[in-house]
Amino acid sequence: MMFKALSSDFLKIRGKGIWFLIFLGPLGIIAMQALNYGLRYDYLTQRYAGRLWETLLADIQMFVPISLFLGVTLVSSLLAHIEHQTNAWKQLLALPISRNAVFFSKFAISFLLLTLSCMVLAIGVAALGLSLRFGMETMPIGSILRLSFLPFAASLPALALFLWLCMLLKNQAVPITLGVLAAIGSVFTSLISGTLSKMLPLNWPMFGYIGPRQELFVAAGFAAGCVICLMGTLHFIKKDVN
Amino acid sequence: MNEWIIETKGLSKRYKGRYAVSNLNLKIAKGDIYGFLGPNGAGKTTTIRMLLGLIKPSNGSVNIFGKALNKERLSILRRVGSLVEYPSYYGHLSATDNLEAIRRIIEAPKSRISEVLSIVGLAKEARRPVKGFSLGMKQRLGIASALLGNPELLMLDEPTNGLDPSGILEIRELIKQMPKQHGITVLISSHLLSEVELTAGTVGIIRQGELVFQDTIANLHQQAQGSMSLVVSDPEQAHITLRQHGIESVHRGKTLLLEQTSDHTVARIVRTLVERKHDIYRVEEKRKTLEELFLQIVGEGTQL
Repeated sequence: MMFKALSSDFLKIRGKGIWFLIFLGPLGIIAMQALNYGLRYDYLTQRYAGRLWETLLADIQMFVPISLFLGVTLVSSLLAHIEHQTNAWKQLLALPISRNAVFFSKFAISFLLLTLSCMVLAIGVAALGLSLRFGMETMPIGSILRLSFLPFAASLPALALFLWLCMLLKNQAVPITLGVLAAIGSVFTSLISGTLSKMLPLNWPMFGYIGPRQELFVAAGFAAGCVICLMGTLHFIKKDVN
Repeated sequence: MNEWIIETKGLSKRYKGRYAVSNLNLKIAKGDIYGFLGPNGAGKTTTIRMLLGLIKPSNGSVNIFGKALNKERLSILRRVGSLVEYPSYYGHLSATDNLEAIRRIIEAPKSRISEVLSIVGLAKEARRPVKGFSLGMKQRLGIASALLGNPELLMLDEPTNGLDPSGILEIRELIKQMPKQHGITVLISSHLLSEVELTAGTVGIIRQGELVFQDTIANLHQQAQGSMSLVVSDPEQAHITLRQHGIESVHRGKTLLLEQTSDHTVARIVRTLVERKHDIYRVEEKRKTLEELFLQIVGEGTQL
């Protein structure tokens, strides 16, 4: 039943700018680093000679969490907005489809779209490094994939939470504000040191890549994402649709 | 008839201590067109939302096709088409894609999309984005979506809102055909009696969340019996004359008001008066229109 809803959701996101956003995020990060390395190519390649790929990944890493939080917020909001705009909820939920299928479908489509973003990032990083002549043989494929996908897995709680908020509130200004605050906040919370830093979900996407013990943060992200998604579903099932 | 398509028992919805709908017992027969009437804010939309499972009743039960809605919602909804309040649509998509988004969920055959579009007269506009549609066209698209799954029961909440007179007429004709051609039962809500008077077989009137009338249109007509008024030269004398013939009347100014309106009685009254040399200036039938009756039913108990 969820696949029916999912196929319908894929139709609905046409022409809403979501596809554009999905490519804009990762390509934006790549473009920034292309500019960075393009402007001071000689300086950077001399200074970091021997660990060029690692440096590039570290530079990109700084922008991954903030982009993820922004992406999660905007994708959730755009998805929910499609239904809020003319209150299509009442039409959608009067169809013979269970409410949890509707909710999970929204979660699934945003998950798939953001996974696509991660793939674009991975391909983009590799392409950027190669075009900067960092060398194919030294390319750290494992690290590129970890950088592209693990932070996303660690940010699933945010996806579940924002999707829930966006579907719950007709006024999208509230979740978007919270999302932007979370994105900006994640830059500052990453500066906190010690155990507290690791307890903060805002930092999980960062630790999901830089570690130590990345698997803990990824697992925590998955688990918390599932719990929040479940809570969201339970609430969505009971909610009155006005 | 024993087989009710929709039957509610004690259906109530409470919002913060105030009943939006209270103790509603609807009975809608198969193949009937049920006009659900009430002024704005009487609880029509709340009721229809409860019938579709969009909101949960505070008390009471809903049975559709003889099944309990809270237990078998999905199998019931598979046989129901609905349009709730103002139309919902995805503005950035064309009419066809709007229907396709619904079709993918209900799994109707693809050919059904062009069928329903031509039923509601939107076949020519199928490719345009819906945000450019007029309200009437959006309303038709809403009706098309309701028809998409070949429903056995249609619930239409104010389906002619925003339509022009010819559009209203078209939709009315369309609704009228439903039971005849496809055996579809229709529940149609409206705040105008004139709107459903011509289509509905049964009406339910709701006022402040309570059902105050539920019967056939024919019986409603019965209640709307009119009266005759006669303007005569000497009403006082005429009143006495009629009383001598066993006909009761009330006189007000130059007018006599009579309850009986059968042709036979009226003829007898006129003959009697003419024979007694009364001049009769006017014989008028004052029909209480259904609308007046409706307003009277709805108006009772309002605090305004």
